[in-house]
Amino acid sequence: MLAIQVLINALVLGCLYACIAIGFSLVWGVLNVINLIHGSFIVLGAYLAWGAYNALGLSPWYSLLIAAPSFFVFGYLLQRLLLNRVITAPVLVTLTLTFGLDLILNNAMIYYFKADYRKLILNPPTGSVSIFDVVVPVDRLIATASALALTFLLYLLLRRSKVGRAIVAVRLDRDAAVLMGVNVKSIYAVAFGLGAALAGCAGVLMALIFPISPLTSSAYLGKAFVVCVLGGLGSVSGALAGGLLLALVEGVGSVYLGPAHAVTLSFVLLIIFLVVRPQGLLGRKGFE
Amino acid sequence: MFHPRLVLTALSASFLLAAAGLGATSSVASAQDVIRFGAPLPITGPLAPEAVKQQQGYDLWAEQANKAGGINVGGKKYKVEIVYSDYQSNTPRSVQTTEQMITQDKVNFMFGPFGSGAAKAASTIAEKYKVPMLAATASSSQVYDQNYKYLFGTFTPNDTLTTPLTKLVKAKATDVKKVAILARNDLFPLAIAQEMEKSAKENGLEVVYFEKYAINTLDHSATLSQIKSLAPQWVFITGYTNDLLLIRKQMVDQQMKAGVVTMIAGPAYQEFIDSAGATAENISSASWWHPAEKYDGKDIFGSTANFVKLFKDKYKLEPDYAHASAAVCGALFQMAIEKAGSLDRDKVRDELAKMDVVTFWGPVKFGANGQINSLEPPVFQIQAGKPVVLFPDAIKQGDFKLGVN
Repeated sequence: MLAIQVLINALVLGCLYACIAIGFSLVWGVLNVINLIHGSFIVLGAYLAWGAYNALGLSPWYSLLIAAPSFFVFGYLLQRLLLNRVITAPVLVTLTLTFGLDLILNNAMIYYFKADYRKLILNPPTGSVSIFDVVVPVDRLIATASALALTFLLYLLLRRSKVGRAIVAVRLDRDAAVLMGVNVKSIYAVAFGLGAALAGCAGVLMALIFPISPLTSSAYLGKAFVVCVLGGLGSVSGALAGGLLLALVEGVGSVYLGPAHAVTLSFVLLIIFLVVRPQGLLGRKGFE
Repeated sequence: MFHPRLVLTALSASFLLAAAGLGATSSVASAQDVIRFGAPLPITGPLAPEAVKQQQGYDLWAEQANKAGGINVGGKKYKVEIVYSDYQSNTPRSVQTTEQMITQDKVNFMFGPFGSGAAKAASTIAEKYKVPMLAATASSSQVYDQNYKYLFGTFTPNDTLTTPLTKLVKAKATDVKKVAILARNDLFPLAIAQEMEKSAKENGLEVVYFEKYAINTLDHSATLSQIKSLAPQWVFITGYTNDLLLIRKQMVDQQMKAGVVTMIAGPAYQEFIDSAGATAENISSASWWHPAEKYDGKDIFGSTANFVKLFKDKYKLEPDYAHASAAVCGALFQMAIEKAGSLDRDKVRDELAKMDVVTFWGPVKFGANGQINSLEPPVFQIQAGKPVVLFPDAIKQGDFKLGVN
């Protein structure tokens, strides 16, 4: 029974990890920008859900509807006004820029929200469902379903819409896309905006599950990084595969080797992937 | 093509730049007749909430001391000035900061950095320059077993928390036979978990699970499922507020129930109680001090009640042991300096060493190794959203309640 419980836990956690990583993967895959501000976006989304619930009594499901457009605009403007200026520079320049922006955003959050840990407590609590002694918390189930829905929406957007095809085209061959009349600067901004919107929505969902503090941003960023390397950049399914693999390794590792070694194990796996299969489980050149 | 190595180089370069920019933020005043106290704190980084607490404690003491005209040194009054510096939750930097404060900022006396690890590291510098250092938040005996002459601390050893707790559980919860212990892999949380293991075994309890979890662990579901399958009656978990909130939430998620659930060190903090809400009910804990204590002190704050009142007036919140310990460190320095009648570091050090006085914090007397040995730390439990003292009997506010759902 323990084995089944651990597997179910890993499955749910894997989807949450995918949710954390998907926006990061999109930005990295399309723009070739390692977006270090991603973790802080997630935390900001969590504060949005927390504030909306406590101040306005707004359920986190409505907060998702606020988070998606507002983070999109924020991300779009950030890319348009700042990142686009250095987008053609070597990857180190954009990395340093997002690092600096992250310092500013993170410290601004410490200033306004304090470094204290807060928790979004739903009233009444959502509780857990149990089937034959296997327990699954309802909030995690809902977050998982929402994460899958968001992932699917992104997949549809990239596959079916004109903007989505343009994003994929830019990712595949920037110069050819320009020749085909794609406005690359605008596409970059849309992609970054989408990444930010996904991070903001992930934050709203994570607020139900994890304590909220500006200090947790690095933990989210770390997970996103590992998921992208494991799953492979540039595909929606890659983020899911990476998230599930990471959660499984951590869960099984913590039961059989002890929780202190679960993290070690996941990073050993990361190194093995970097050496043996740097493109990740499902990585490929173009974004789906 | 993107190279991970380049990213690492860039990251470390940016961190260095950030470190250089944020480094020396301590203010340097030129006024005379001032006693300067150095306080290295983790103002930024993961330990930032702890730094705020210590800073509030020091500031309250400095304000009170200055309001009374200052510290009386042989008939002459000196104002108190506290020099703060941020070591960014980075222990090696706390050592540098301490040295910088002594050699460049010319502080007269030092407060220790946060926690056992950093205090141990920084105490080496204080010892080298023969500057008395009072550590407000260092409990592990490994900090004091160096037998330094200039280091003193206001936390008793960790076993003084776990022993009364075990005795209480043993007496009140007779069906507790199996204990599961989960510890954050960090100096203090691990040390206290090891003391708990020792104390459980000494009292005839079976330790069915003892594991550490890594710092920054985001998910404990697998670990908790495993503990649940062992069906312990007592679950003992150590960590800081963030870890314990997360673990408590996941325990509820996994429908994990136990007769006794003890968490150290979160429940002593109001923010834990606020954030955990109803799930904090019946969680037991122990700490070095509690606002319900009733000591009549000889220090500047006088009684415990007066300290609590002054603190609430200034910060609009209930003080916890971290606030109180920082404030008492200031008050102890003040008493030692006034008794020595001099700012001579060796004379003040000798006064600290032979100190035997009651304060709002409790009776203060340091052992030969510099660690306080006169305190009796309280055991408490969260009942109806409030911490209720269960032990010692002199300040008991309620009875131990069993059952954490």
